[in-house]
Amino acid sequence: MIKSKFIVVLAGNANVGKSVIFNHLTGLHQHIGNWPGKTVGKAEGTLHFRGYTIDIIDLPGIYSLSTFSIEELISREYIAVETPDLVINVVDASVLERNLFFTLQLMELEAPMVIALNQVDMAEKKGIEINYKKLEKTLGVPVIPTVAIRGTGVYELLQRCVETIEKGGEKPSRMKYGEEIEKRIKGLSETVKKVHYPYPARWTAIKLLEKDEQVEREIREVKPEIVSAAEKFAEEIEEIHGHSCSTVITSERYEIAGYIAREVQHVVPPIKPLMRERLHALTTHRILGYLIMAVLLLSIFYSIFTFGDYTSGLLSDLFYCLEPIFESIFGAGIAGELIWGGIMGGIIAGVAIALPYIIPFYLVLYFLEDSGYLSRIAFLLDNVMHRIGLHGKAFIPVMLSFGCNVPGCLGCRIMETERERLLTAFVVTLVPCAATTVIILGLVGTFVGVQWALALYIIDLVIIFLLGRLAFKALPGEPTALIMEMSDYRVPHLQTVLRQTLFRLMEFIKMAFPLIIVGSLLIKLAEVMGLLNPIASVLSPVTVTWLGLPAITGIALIFGVLRKELTLIMLATLFGTTNFAQVPNFGPVQMIVFTLVTMLYIPCIATIAALVREFGWKRALFITVFEIVFAILIGGIAFRLLMLV
Amino acid sequence: MELRLTDLRDGESGIITSIKMGHGRGHREHRGAGRRWGFRKRLEDMGLTPGTRVTVVKSAPFRGPLEVYVRGSRLAIGRRMAERIFVKVKK
Repeated sequence: MIKSKFIVVLAGNANVGKSVIFNHLTGLHQHIGNWPGKTVGKAEGTLHFRGYTIDIIDLPGIYSLSTFSIEELISREYIAVETPDLVINVVDASVLERNLFFTLQLMELEAPMVIALNQVDMAEKKGIEINYKKLEKTLGVPVIPTVAIRGTGVYELLQRCVETIEKGGEKPSRMKYGEEIEKRIKGLSETVKKVHYPYPARWTAIKLLEKDEQVEREIREVKPEIVSAAEKFAEEIEEIHGHSCSTVITSERYEIAGYIAREVQHVVPPIKPLMRERLHALTTHRILGYLIMAVLLLSIFYSIFTFGDYTSGLLSDLFYCLEPIFESIFGAGIAGELIWGGIMGGIIAGVAIALPYIIPFYLVLYFLEDSGYLSRIAFLLDNVMHRIGLHGKAFIPVMLSFGCNVPGCLGCRIMETERERLLTAFVVTLVPCAATTVIILGLVGTFVGVQWALALYIIDLVIIFLLGRLAFKALPGEPTALIMEMSDYRVPHLQTVLRQTLFRLMEFIKMAFPLIIVGSLLIKLAEVMGLLNPIASVLSPVTVTWLGLPAITGIALIFGVLRKELTLIMLATLFGTTNFAQVPNFGPVQMIVFTLVTMLYIPCIATIAALVREFGWKRALFITVFEIVFAILIGGIAFRLLMLV
Repeated sequence: MELRLTDLRDGESGIITSIKMGHGRGHREHRGAGRRWGFRKRLEDMGLTPGTRVTVVKSAPFRGPLEVYVRGSRLAIGRRMAERIFVKVKK
């Protein structure tokens, strides 16, 4: 009797159409979240087929199962420890050799599997024809050709999956390495079998020979002799081949993958270069490439923020129409103020400020990613981003942050390692967003001079550069270096892009809205209870003594946590005028210091929520506290310097 | 003749002989062997194993990354990494 509920995972290289297949299989029954405690996205979905309930998990797109990135660790751990009923390995038919290298590693994990030979249409255009029956026979794994983007073959894939599970999920056949390696793998796996370890013995033996850090550490804990035996074997292999044992094993794996690829495919390269080849050459050209990128990115930036600005204003106006209604229901008393100014104020901030920017941002991000253009941007800008310790891909979140920090933080997930994500997020929160720009221009630009506004902007960029470098040096771990596949351009699958946007958005709402509303309510509560002036005087050692600002700016800065532009609005309310030039004790020096502090002092609450969402409380708190301290420090120094001028 | 991958001109190709770690520019040696292992492993996992033919398609300006063609696919490799890849060229 077989059970009626299965777990199936999708595994494969990046950009092979995994998410498109995932979307075809699960439709709207999906849930997007993170792997527990990690900043790696996890997509789960359910489907019903022939009376079975099948849970589908989309593993991150990776190239290997070593310890290089968290994605690789998560994937191999999931397959070996959670033992899913079936692994669907999605393979890009047009880059068979590279993809089979990963397939061979999956086979070593000894999980039952089925191969979706995807993008066979693109392969055909490149003149590659694959004998999938032969591939099936060679690997001992069912192979189903698919064109996921059109839904071709997906049903057959599902059928074969269920059949494979019904048959009891055979293990794939075993690929053999060279004689001298096989002998040592066998010897090692005999001893590994005797210890209790969740991974297959043969796989563990291979990984020990490859000097896999995690496996070595874990085996050493139970039986250190095994590790020393593996080290001896590895040295012997090294002596035979003149290369390190891990190099030899990787080479052989690639040799096998290459051999199989040559055996099953027939290549007749097209005479005329393909359209997408020409597009690639054009978009990575040393002059034209940059021009195209500049035009494209500027127009994306411009349209996101025109749309965001317009929609944001429209939504705000709509919400504020509700104010009289709320007043008539809850009265103008304390309860009414808390409900309107606190709870609704938070909701308005979320819906009207964050959403109009986040939705188009996600759409654009997925389009850039799915089409393949993102990797070209990374190629062109790698050099520039290296100056702050990041690599090319980081440009996208950084660029978007000039509009709004929230999508910038959310966009950090396109970076490969946890370290890069955190570094990018840190840089991103320092970038002056649209609201900060409003303050820079509206206060300093109008009342001190445009050149000073520009100077502030430049100072901010210099700070980003210096802090980025500093964080790069301070954070432990691998330094960032670019190595990525630039897969062929392709048309993104609209439905997949839309669904990814929708699910990511809902995830953001769930996380950020409670935080924004609570924050807004707390500030309103402080206001209603008459706590603002006492708080301002508590803050006065910092605001008055150290920063040389009027005490009430403390209140404005508190409101700024909610939305940066509120600092300026509150300032006007507190001073009772929008002509800041007339305010006593608030001269050009104070304006500049105030703006500088506002620019740096804290990520707004929606950004903090995004940070918590992506990196957890501890790191979000650390970034926030660091920025508060840093802004106060810089503000005080600036005040003293400016007084000298 | 053995050269660094970065010494090849656009369109030239060579056979990888080795990936040398630990004496490139700007490298902090003391972080230990684990990291060097990770570096090389990463390159090899992407198919840049000794004995493999690799073609430099072009490089991004201002000492940017290299676009290489290897094992039927196109890779972008940061210059600092590419400097550590040594190739044999028929001359």
